[in-house]
Amino acid sequence: MNKTPYVLLFFLMCGCCAFAIQDDFVNTSLADKNLECPYYQEKYNYNDTTLIPVKLAIKNKVKSENDIYEGQELEFSVVENVVYNNKILVRSGTLATARVETIIANGMNGIPASVILGDFKVGGLESRKLTMEYEKYGVDLSLFVFPLKWLLTPLPPTGSLTNFIKGGHVKFKENEEILIYYHPNWL
Amino acid sequence: MKIRKVLLCLIVILSSIQFCAASEISAHKTNSVQERINSIAFDILNRNKIEKRIVFVYDEAGKKNLLNTDKALTKREVVVYDDMYKAVENDDELAAMLAREISFAVRSFDGVCNGFLRSLQIRAAPKKYEIVADKRAVDYMVNAGYDPVALIIYIQKTAPQLRFDMIHAHNLTSKRLAVIYEYIYTKYPYFLKNNKYIDNKYYQNFLLTSTANRKMLENKIKTNSKEKLDYE
Repeated sequence: MNKTPYVLLFFLMCGCCAFAIQDDFVNTSLADKNLECPYYQEKYNYNDTTLIPVKLAIKNKVKSENDIYEGQELEFSVVENVVYNNKILVRSGTLATARVETIIANGMNGIPASVILGDFKVGGLESRKLTMEYEKYGVDLSLFVFPLKWLLTPLPPTGSLTNFIKGGHVKFKENEEILIYYHPNWL
Repeated sequence: MKIRKVLLCLIVILSSIQFCAASEISAHKTNSVQERINSIAFDILNRNKIEKRIVFVYDEAGKKNLLNTDKALTKREVVVYDDMYKAVENDDELAAMLAREISFAVRSFDGVCNGFLRSLQIRAAPKKYEIVADKRAVDYMVNAGYDPVALIIYIQKTAPQLRFDMIHAHNLTSKRLAVIYEYIYTKYPYFLKNNKYIDNKYYQNFLLTSTANRKMLENKIKTNSKEKLDYE
């Protein structure tokens, strides 16, 4: 009896049964959301050197990086008028926003926490011409923890005890200025 | 006797020509790889407006020597070893690999002594900064127009899985992948909803091996929790 047709049929059936695992969680949780492809700047020209400082201050203070989360939008207000060619581009007090891009928790050996802010939106200024990101650090204690550790190394295990000194948290105070730059003539 | 000498000369000439041709081909290959690396790397730098000088070198030597210091931190020179490069299948994956290295190099510029202290911190807490580099790589990739899902694929293919990470200088790869997945889900869900790599066999393998971690994330999203997940 010729078994070839049966063997072929078997392989065909196997092929039909093979399927890719679907990401059900994404399919269900994001199905009804209208999502746009994030903007990216395909062309650039950094020939121009003009840059205008934009001073911002946070609206509600942040005591620690634990109070915020990645992707959160923080509100700021413009501290001083943004002026270019004797023309006011943004008045002081205008609302500005920034997104929390990445949070780095504080660590052992005095390593400070830090928060990276990005996606700045300031009044009518074009976001792509603003500083891309701004990083705020907590108090950096590693500057004296590392030398202390090395000094104590001949007396074990005292050197290792310095591992437990933790770095400072990130704080945003209302009166503290954040300086970013606007490049009016960049593409 | 004369014929023997002529034959010997011919053999020497032919073998030297062959050797020259082989080295020419090898040089041409190295040149084209270097060109590809530079093109993608400088796009990432320019599109992310990174105002720091970083250079990129393709090293045919193969593997990174464990005793060598990380040049991305000390010389701001990203070295792409052949061992890393051979796993790259497309531009997205190459961008993923470069973006991670760039994020290390960028961090080495800030702070005391022109970034010397920051570099020491990265050496002292490699696990923490490994996760940071992964997250920044996702941002750099998106800002430069590359698909961040390729970072998951590249790591899935290349990074081995440790038994424990408690006493190790590196995180469990499964943990890193879960953190990257959560980061993409939270900040750039577009790429997961319109996932062009859904049928990719390496991505499928990631889905297969990350079921428990993805379940944890699912619960977190459902309960609207903001707590940090302890991935396996």
